[in-house]
Amino acid sequence: MGRTAQLLHELLESAAERSPESAALSSQGRSLTYAELAAASTRTAAALQREGLRRGDRIVVTAADGIGIAVLLYAASRLGAVFSVLHEQVRGGPLEHVLRDCGPTLLVSDDPAAGRTAAEHGVRFLELDELVRSALDADTDESLAPGGPSALTVDPVSLIYTSGTTSLPKAVVSTHQQVLFAASAIQECLRYRSDDVVYCPLPLSFDYGLYQVYLAALSGARLHLGTVAEVGPPLLRSLEEAGATVLPAVPSIADRLAWLLRRSSSGPSRLRLLTNTGAALSDTTMAALRAALPRLRIQVMYGLTECKRTAIMPPDGDLDHPGSCGLPLPGTEVFVIDDDGSRLPPGQIGQFVVRGPNVMAGYWKRPELTAERFPRAEGLFPELRTGDYGWLDKEGYLYFSGRRDDLYKERGFRLSATEVEAAATRVDGVTSAAVLPPEGKRGALLAVVADIGADEVREGMRDHIEPFKIPRRCVRLDALPTNGNGKVDRKKLAALIEQAPAAPVTAEASRAGLAH
Amino acid sequence: MDRQNVVTALETALTDVLERPVTGLTGDVKLFDDLHLDSTTMLEMLMALEDSIGLVVDPEDLDADDFVSVDTFTDFVLRTQLEQVSA
Repeated sequence: MGRTAQLLHELLESAAERSPESAALSSQGRSLTYAELAAASTRTAAALQREGLRRGDRIVVTAADGIGIAVLLYAASRLGAVFSVLHEQVRGGPLEHVLRDCGPTLLVSDDPAAGRTAAEHGVRFLELDELVRSALDADTDESLAPGGPSALTVDPVSLIYTSGTTSLPKAVVSTHQQVLFAASAIQECLRYRSDDVVYCPLPLSFDYGLYQVYLAALSGARLHLGTVAEVGPPLLRSLEEAGATVLPAVPSIADRLAWLLRRSSSGPSRLRLLTNTGAALSDTTMAALRAALPRLRIQVMYGLTECKRTAIMPPDGDLDHPGSCGLPLPGTEVFVIDDDGSRLPPGQIGQFVVRGPNVMAGYWKRPELTAERFPRAEGLFPELRTGDYGWLDKEGYLYFSGRRDDLYKERGFRLSATEVEAAATRVDGVTSAAVLPPEGKRGALLAVVADIGADEVREGMRDHIEPFKIPRRCVRLDALPTNGNGKVDRKKLAALIEQAPAAPVTAEASRAGLAH
Repeated sequence: MDRQNVVTALETALTDVLERPVTGLTGDVKLFDDLHLDSTTMLEMLMALEDSIGLVVDPEDLDADDFVSVDTFTDFVLRTQLEQVSA
């Protein structure tokens, strides 16, 4: 066995050395072994080199084909290039923003419209399908022409664009070292096995989706990439057909699985582990999943792209530490500070700060924002101000209260939208909930998907949080609008409610508003 | 329930789910590419049809091929309703 991987593609090399014939990736009836994936990524790297790509160049890819993306990202790593995976639907203005911001040498996509945008911005364009297919079909071994020195562990390997609430998307830059540390630390907690089939329902543009590629290589598991069509209503059947043993989820996926399981006599029999990120998983969903799948263990997590993952709960640890999102990654530290930057004792709410090798390099071409969010203690030692608020208990478990922008003030109280939403979903009959913080003259507003009336929801919440925290207005909707990552889209939600301002408000809620 | 009834129920369900009027659907309209449904709204469409026409789905029978176009989905609903009646 070779030395420990230091560069991203060495993860793949090690997996291909250990078990060349094991399936690495599968999707839509296609499957690749680790040896095939390693060879295809080498051929793709050689093809890119012939196109003139060099160490340090940036490559942007926007496509639906996860297998193609995986081949391409390992190829980029081999060249010492830096890749950025965008959601397949990023087009027009948002794509132009990325091309201007990132300044890539190459855009890769299967969509001619993306090709035209690239041409307008003087960026070279290649078709993913063509690039990868020729690499997969070739049966000759190819190696890279000797170039300059290869990438260092401290060189960048990926840019992950994240949307800000107020500004245009910005890219978090990760070095090889940072990615490998984060992936290894996550693997230490989740313990994927070589006989696992990891069913990824998330696009690879979402960083937890992308990290499944690395976690699979670290463990030697097979990663099955579900298509958008397969992870909708056919999710249950798709999991069963893929032989899924692990499901990395976000709340909308876990809620969907619970809904389907309630209507089914059996479930995905081999599924042993579900992990959750993105937002808190509701107690109702976790209980439903556990009832339907007795073998299933759940690991809730919390993190942000700026350090990939912050905390992971031990398997089923939520039963002993309800409401917590787990312990800091091994080899990292999380502490809580007040507004002046002083450390707070356990039990007090403040901002989470992360230290450790998982703290990424910073934001691409945003020196001021980088200095603010990635300050250096004593002017030397990097740490990450997460902008997330919460507290630690005496054992070191993290409790997430909300994003900085999740916190709002109403009637003089500092409230957390996340906390209010959690209380609403604890009410029997409520499937999901979202809070719109106050804006202008409008007070905080609670939107729910529920089998019960809006007034009953507000009444039921009194069992779970202080009455002053319960929004005066509650609106019942058939569904909460979500974005590509399955998170509630508050902008769309606000627009939706403003379209029909009077209709959905219940009589009692109006009275409560008037009485105030 | 005939084909046209299913399409009408589908239009109503989609109008609810997508929060915009959906009318005049023809069989070849693609659910993902043309109507821009995603994996979440696809499930909400099923939930709406469960309420409106009493569609009872067996999650293990749901196949991605049934969710391609208005035609494939209508076939699926008719087949499912028929099985319910005969069961």
